[in-house]
Amino acid sequence: MAELSRNPHLTPDEIELWAQGLLSATRVMHLADCRECLTTAERERKLLRDLAQLPRFGPEFGFAERVMAHVRIPTPSGNFGR
Amino acid sequence: MVEWAKDGHEPAFRELVRRYERPVFSLVYRMVRDRALAEDLAQETFIKVLNGIRSYRPEFKFSSWIFKIANNAAIDHLRRRELDTLSLDGAPHAQTPEEMQATALQLGSGQESPLDEVAARELGSHIERAIARLRPEYRACILLRHVEGHSYEEIAQMLDLPLGTVKTYIHRGRNELRVYLEGVNE
Repeated sequence: MAELSRNPHLTPDEIELWAQGLLSATRVMHLADCRECLTTAERERKLLRDLAQLPRFGPEFGFAERVMAHVRIPTPSGNFGR
Repeated sequence: MVEWAKDGHEPAFRELVRRYERPVFSLVYRMVRDRALAEDLAQETFIKVLNGIRSYRPEFKFSSWIFKIANNAAIDHLRRRELDTLSLDGAPHAQTPEEMQATALQLGSGQESPLDEVAARELGSHIERAIARLRPEYRACILLRHVEGHSYEEIAQMLDLPLGTVKTYIHRGRNELRVYLEGVNE
């Protein structure tokens, strides 16, 4: 118990930092002794990796043209050119 | 680029569309899970942003501004749809099993459009389906943080939420995703 109070479980923020390789070495040490935190952290790392690898989707061809057909381009005087 | 657009250079407008069309469309598509609707909402977002370019304040990141408008469009749509949608189990006023059946949504009728089929293919993986199960507020935070890579502070600014609320939504969203995905893997 005294050991846990000196080296408490990782917070969700710390687990995210660990998954990004940004957690301080002293806090990383906790994972060597705590099976519970290690399991959570490894699951979290897998989830973050899966999310980061999700593809980006594109709209249908001609999207920019369809947008631009409704856009009024301002002139330097502040009026709109169309 | 934004300053150039503010000065009325059409190529700058086109470049802004080119740079942001995929991230904005992806966010909206994952929020509403309907390709045609996502295209309409993304188009609405760009028209609003580009026609209002002169009101853009440079202390706000341009990407934050455009994602804020895109997310608002998606959330507004989801709220309207929630009001209009019948439950899968039938309308709330249905009293008898017959009434419930008569008012229930019909799923899997084999009448899907080609766009529905594309959406099913694109958003059919376990993780995409798990994301879809999150409540919209959690879903938006998770997508902006872990797919688009925005900081917690930027997300708080985009969604007009306190920083602590954003952190809570993201942590709860990740917990729910892990639970959904563990169920799949068992």
